[in-house]
Amino acid sequence: MPHELFSIKDCALISRAVGLAAAATLRELRARVEACPCASLYHHFCETKLRPSFDDPEYPNDLAAWAAHALRDAVLGERLAMIDGFEYEDLEILRADTLDVIDQRLGEAPSLAWAQPDENFEFMQAMTVVFDTGACADSIEALTQAVDTMSNGSIYFHFVEARRRPPWGKDDFSTWISTWDSPPADLAAALSSIDFRWLSLHGIKTQIHRVFTRALESGAGA
Amino acid sequence: MNQVLDRYRSVAGDEAVRELEQLGRHLAGARVIHVNSTRQGGGVAEILDWMIPLMCDLGIAADWQVVSGDGDFFAVTKAMHNGLQGQNVEMDSPRIRTYMDTNRQEAERLRPILADADFVFIHDPQPAALLTILGAGHAHWIWRCHIDISAPQRRVWRVLRPLVEKFEASIYSLPRYALPLPHPQFVIAPSIDPLSEKNRDLTDAEMLELLAPYGLDPGRPLLVQISRFDAFKDPIGVIQAYRMVKKHIPVQLVLAGGGAADDPEGDRVLNAVRTEAATDPDIHVLALAPDSHRTINALQRAADIVIQKSVREGFGLTVTEGLWKGKPVIGGNAGGIRLQVFDHHTGFLVNTPEGAAQKALFLLTHRDEMTAIGQRGHRFVRENFLLTRQLREYLILMAGLRLGFSDRLELDGAAEASA
Repeated sequence: MPHELFSIKDCALISRAVGLAAAATLRELRARVEACPCASLYHHFCETKLRPSFDDPEYPNDLAAWAAHALRDAVLGERLAMIDGFEYEDLEILRADTLDVIDQRLGEAPSLAWAQPDENFEFMQAMTVVFDTGACADSIEALTQAVDTMSNGSIYFHFVEARRRPPWGKDDFSTWISTWDSPPADLAAALSSIDFRWLSLHGIKTQIHRVFTRALESGAGA
Repeated sequence: MNQVLDRYRSVAGDEAVRELEQLGRHLAGARVIHVNSTRQGGGVAEILDWMIPLMCDLGIAADWQVVSGDGDFFAVTKAMHNGLQGQNVEMDSPRIRTYMDTNRQEAERLRPILADADFVFIHDPQPAALLTILGAGHAHWIWRCHIDISAPQRRVWRVLRPLVEKFEASIYSLPRYALPLPHPQFVIAPSIDPLSEKNRDLTDAEMLELLAPYGLDPGRPLLVQISRFDAFKDPIGVIQAYRMVKKHIPVQLVLAGGGAADDPEGDRVLNAVRTEAATDPDIHVLALAPDSHRTINALQRAADIVIQKSVREGFGLTVTEGLWKGKPVIGGNAGGIRLQVFDHHTGFLVNTPEGAAQKALFLLTHRDEMTAIGQRGHRFVRENFLLTRQLREYLILMAGLRLGFSDRLELDGAAEASA
């Protein structure tokens, strides 16, 4: 039976100010984290790869990078870096956990470090547009070719952001393959072993392409 | 066939151009008018020079209008420009009247053109009163502010704020440049044009020809800083760093920039730099003409390391240019340089001449790492800071204005509805 077509989408964002004053100290950061919209938390924890910015391999979210670089608080930077925004279905729990980490640090180091004036933390959120590329795939072979030419936005949409849409925690490629009558053995597992958190979108794309190529070599082309 | 856009496929990537085409389909036929105050010279004109033809290539009816005025008007807008960036300037009633009168005259001239527009982008403060005078009509009006207005002189802001708060949205180059306004405020970072004379590939023959006048030794490492002769760019600190490096490695230094002739402060800094460099034949201080784009391109490409040791900086497009040319950048720990230079990844951030010297010595003695950093820097700019990304963000904003602001917009099926 032919598979349902995999429709390739793309997405891109533009950042906008939330309207909160910038934070210069950890106490100010705490107050703004408490007050900012969930979309801003999502932007600073999850959308960093899609934004025109450097993919910091040490500090994968903006709050961790700011604590380490602007406040020069390596301890806080390390702790915040291990908060994975993609694990939170409810962003209010992400907010609560972030506040816990900040409160713990405020308890340990009550003296206030100040960021330089041009290093204050600016709370932003995104306006994201999703659009159809017009391309689609009906087999692993076709999808492998498509991945090769996909934009970073498509990779983000199908492999990163997809985890925050039903079915929760799964990328779109795995979801598509799981609808097949006889899904290729181990392909979904190989895709899920790609740790997107620590890779750039370009790196994720390379790994996905490698997984599909191996699957094709082992005869999973149908 | 998109003739202008197609030229960017090979440098910016086919994916980047396809994204523009796909987004552009949802805006095809839209009438977009950009208004600024000069056709030539300055960063805004440089942006519009490429943006208008690219938008047209996407099927958008883009046009560029320039407000004109007399010397008094531009004296006022210059003062306004400086005041918005924090300088103490005079902004009394006669000056405000001059500003508004010229905007009224220009509004009458532009009225029939703007009446047909779907989107009007007003660049910087000079034409900002047009919306107040003409009213929005059916168009979406966006104020594009290219300068840092985070700490304006209050008198000037009191004049401008009532004019710009009427816009539907505003755009800034960096998040910290914005002041709160009662409409959505977007951030679109600057970008470079990879096909411009300053950034396009040069042939070996062109490199030889362009560098010949300066007597550089191709057999020895070269450090290059391109920037205005301005104390905030710390050229003296760069010479100090160079001298520390030269104790270990026989390097050469180029400090090149333009725009000093009509700038008394620039003249003073240029003279100080020349005095500092006078006795060293390996320090090349070049006061370049404003149109020396190919020479700057060649100098950046000839460099082993690009330096931008600013102590205060806006975005720092010379850093972007250096990274695009595959060079590691040693940058001052300031402003937008922090958004581009990351230790061991695209270069090094430094705070002192000693720091700059130490990082230069590290790079010059670790050539493999230097090459890897240069390659990462090039890829970083390709993905983030080419004009294709800047245009994409304009298209997203326009789509958002058309469909109603929301955190998330699905454009599927919207092309017909919105065209």
